Amino acid sequence: MAKALKTAQSPHVTAPVRGRIFPFGALVGQREMKLALKLNAVDPGVGGVLVRGEKGTAKSTAVRGLAAILPELDVAAGCGFGCDPADRRHMCDRCLGRLAKGESLEAGTRRVPVVDLPLNATEDMVLGGLDFGKAVRSGRRRFMPGLLAKANRGFLYVDEVNLLDDHLVDVILDAAASGRNCLEREGVSFSHPAAFVLVGTMNPEEGELRPQLLDRFGLCVEVGGEQDPELRVELMALRESFDRDPEAFCLLYERENLDEAAEVERARLLLPTVGLSGGLRSFITALCIENNVAGHRADLVIQRAARALAALHGRREVTQEDIAAVAPLALRHRSRDASPPPPPEPPKPPEPPEEPESPKDEHDEQDQVEPPPGQDNDQQDDSGPEEGFDPPPPEPPDQGPEHDMGEDPAEEIHEVGQTFKVKTIRQPKDRKLRRGSGRRSATRTAQKLGRYVKSSLHGQPQDLALDATLRAAAPYQLRRQGHTGMAVCVKPQDLRLKVREKRVGNFLLFLVDASGSMGAQARMSATKGAVLSLLMDAYQKRDKVALVTFRGREAVLNLPPTSSIELAAKLLAELPVGGRTPLTAGLVEASEQLRRNLRKDPDSRPIVLILTDGRANAGLGPDAPPHEEALGIAAKMGLDERVRFVVVDTEAQSVVRLDLAARLAAALGGEYFKIDDLKAEDLVGIARKE
Amino acid sequence: MKSIMKTTYPFAAMVGQQDMKLSLILNVINPGLSGVLIRGEKGTGKSTAARALAEILPDIEVVEGCPFNLDPGESGGELCLACTVAVCGFKQAQGGNPKSLARPVKVVELPVGATEDRVVGAIDLERALKEGEKHFEPGILAQAHRAILYVDEVNLLEDHVVDVLLDSAAMGVNTVEREGVSFSHPARFTLVGTMNPEEGELRPQLLDRFGLCVLVEGLRSADERVEIMERRLAFEQDPEAFARLHEVQSAELTEKIRQARALWPRVEADRAVMMQIAQACLQVGTDGHRGDIITLKTAKALAAWQGRTSVDEVDVNRALELVLPHRVRRRPFEEVAGGSAFREA
Repeated sequence: MAKALKTAQSPHVTAPVRGRIFPFGALVGQREMKLALKLNAVDPGVGGVLVRGEKGTAKSTAVRGLAAILPELDVAAGCGFGCDPADRRHMCDRCLGRLAKGESLEAGTRRVPVVDLPLNATEDMVLGGLDFGKAVRSGRRRFMPGLLAKANRGFLYVDEVNLLDDHLVDVILDAAASGRNCLEREGVSFSHPAAFVLVGTMNPEEGELRPQLLDRFGLCVEVGGEQDPELRVELMALRESFDRDPEAFCLLYERENLDEAAEVERARLLLPTVGLSGGLRSFITALCIENNVAGHRADLVIQRAARALAALHGRREVTQEDIAAVAPLALRHRSRDASPPPPPEPPKPPEPPEEPESPKDEHDEQDQVEPPPGQDNDQQDDSGPEEGFDPPPPEPPDQGPEHDMGEDPAEEIHEVGQTFKVKTIRQPKDRKLRRGSGRRSATRTAQKLGRYVKSSLHGQPQDLALDATLRAAAPYQLRRQGHTGMAVCVKPQDLRLKVREKRVGNFLLFLVDASGSMGAQARMSATKGAVLSLLMDAYQKRDKVALVTFRGREAVLNLPPTSSIELAAKLLAELPVGGRTPLTAGLVEASEQLRRNLRKDPDSRPIVLILTDGRANAGLGPDAPPHEEALGIAAKMGLDERVRFVVVDTEAQSVVRLDLAARLAAALGGEYFKIDDLKAEDLVGIARKE
Repeated sequence: MKSIMKTTYPFAAMVGQQDMKLSLILNVINPGLSGVLIRGEKGTGKSTAARALAEILPDIEVVEGCPFNLDPGESGGELCLACTVAVCGFKQAQGGNPKSLARPVKVVELPVGATEDRVVGAIDLERALKEGEKHFEPGILAQAHRAILYVDEVNLLEDHVVDVLLDSAAMGVNTVEREGVSFSHPARFTLVGTMNPEEGELRPQLLDRFGLCVLVEGLRSADERVEIMERRLAFEQDPEAFARLHEVQSAELTEKIRQARALWPRVEADRAVMMQIAQACLQVGTDGHRGDIITLKTAKALAAWQGRTSVDEVDVNRALELVLPHRVRRRPFEEVAGGSAFREA
């Protein structure tokens, strides 16, 4: 407890740790990323960059290195927001007040700030809040600037932006849209300019961005590893000498950094004079229409980026080449035709484990496999991992299944079909407190775990929000002095408690029809593909899964509830098909699993995914027809409000549809999808919904 | 955090598990390897090895009393000016050369249930109430600077804790913006994690942060298994006597590590070697460049460990075995292969 430190007082003190940042000028390759960052340095109006790419491709390194090549700005000396003395429109109230009183603003300079928004940030630190120290001393409520204030006229950088909490995303979007941060909290009412360039990096494997946030980034860059061994060697050598002596290395590359900085500075000065002919404007519009872009932001971004590029090249006139160079950056994440953000690590169905796997083989295979359909958009796609999407060559049909064959002679194993990105299936948020961890549904948590979202007057008594409590008590300190010997006197009415929130994974129960009728017309392949897609989604959201299949006479719990999605995927690939359809038995087994899960964890809200064509032809009892029996049971199961049912109809498109699965869904009171409907909607569809 | 038990099982007395022991030693030789992930079934000595490591770690210079374990060369920056710890060697020396002392590298344990505030640090409650001032109380990441951060069952770590871990591991700086405090301090640590894959896989981004990855299995030879039982029994009967028995071995190991640590900065790798690494990484299709960089560092550490100043082909092949298993572009849900799969790579 004794070890404590005074926090930095001035809002402009940047990270005290310097000198170990890899110089921007020494980066090998990644031209597109460097260009996008520089365009934003020249013209902040370009609207930020999102850098997407696999791990270890210098995403973060480049952004952090950027700070060194940014130019100096004219600021009003002593202003906490770095106001431009010449720009009255975007000035803070204090500077405006001084001007109104006839005072002049002394000029100072500072470098364009790059402000880090760490994932651990709490809302009050981002927005700003009550100044605790001042409140204690003077009893007055004063505003203490947050990160958005520091980032005014600079860059706001979020590493792993796709992991940022939703409530912080909302706050940032709000400020980014208006260029001002308006604050009404803790008795402080304040508004200040917050015009910043948003820069984010992300690895798509960890999940995608929300569409609104995606659109907020002016440009989007995809980065991948260099494929040329020569370049890789050069990169290794550079990194090695940097690690050996960072300071000497930075000195060595000082020139390159200065050159880059001078280039940016020159372009900034030139920018206001750069012209764009009307003909080229229509060219931009045509480009956007051709790519089916939602909204007008793309047009504006391309225009500004092209002007910035022309300025970087020292020209006063934008050329068609400039536009062609920047257009892919602006269109990549907005184009509607090609699935806007390329799906994460494209799925490749697992192979049977007994096949020994040598890395050489995999390489060869990757070379031969052609890019998957739907991926061939016009932008260059150098992010490699999209290869190897197609299903592997069919397995030899005579391969013996692992499971008990039963009495069914017509049993076969189908390969896993095409996988896709699934749409969001989640339970709605409620006020119930839960334990657990995951990424699917947002929930309030009762333990002292989860992210500290905000403070409230009501909550768990042992989870004190100290900062909020102190701020609540601060204005009264002058009156309360002297009783306790403590510097701060806190009364019960000041107590504020932490509200924590996190996403919990759901329990997903897969109920898969493995009867003979599923074997026809590659239906099982498509079903397996759908299940695998859902499993991958479950993996990103850290769900628990269980797998129940039914065929022949009975239903089997193939996989008891587990977090190991790998295991589920492996079992799925080996799943044999054949025999009759005991839908009732499957439903009974599913409800037994649900009952167990709900007893263990009464607050959990499981999701049951039933993949079937609904053609029940084997019942439990001798009396009722199998199908009626199944619907009867389904209706009973549907009564439990805690469970959500999703029926995925696997009936083939071409045949006369019986719509039995739809009736099942209706009986369960659940949702009904055809396999194709499961696919994630395009950007526009999602955006409209939210 | 020294272990409470006076004697841990000596590292030098561990039977078998060459890959695991080697990868830990390499990380001690060059902390730039950024850690090792030990995957394996239960009861294969994963945790024992990680905990025993503390005994053979070399000394480093730190500023006396510094809560951030700063090197004397690192001190004196804005961090020290903002720091209010009175007993700090930097403050006592009034600028100039800070008082420093040599002490062994620490092993800091990150419990799986740790809360976010404990990990990144938080506002100091006591001083806030007593003095009415906001002060930062360092968390586990501050302790872990220049130390080994050990996470048992790393795949069970809470998701949001993984997020903050990734955040600071990326650049070696922990930036705190929470609960009214705004602070940043260096946090460069060697991440050592153990996990049992049956409990679920690691997130890809975290997986990539581990420099090396080894797969441990129960030993197959009956002789070795008997040996393990005998040693374990002897250790449990009289831990101190057992430790004394292996004292000489431990001392030798520590000394060899010390020499290798001194040697590795002088190890050179020629272009052919780097080409070999680049080709190998391209061939198996690793994501990004971290694989190349770590392989080169590992190969250099290996050469230093064997007392050489130049890297040869054998070093590279051995390094690839340790670096590539978790970096090969896997199909989704495919398990991480063992290092032996790359022996031919």
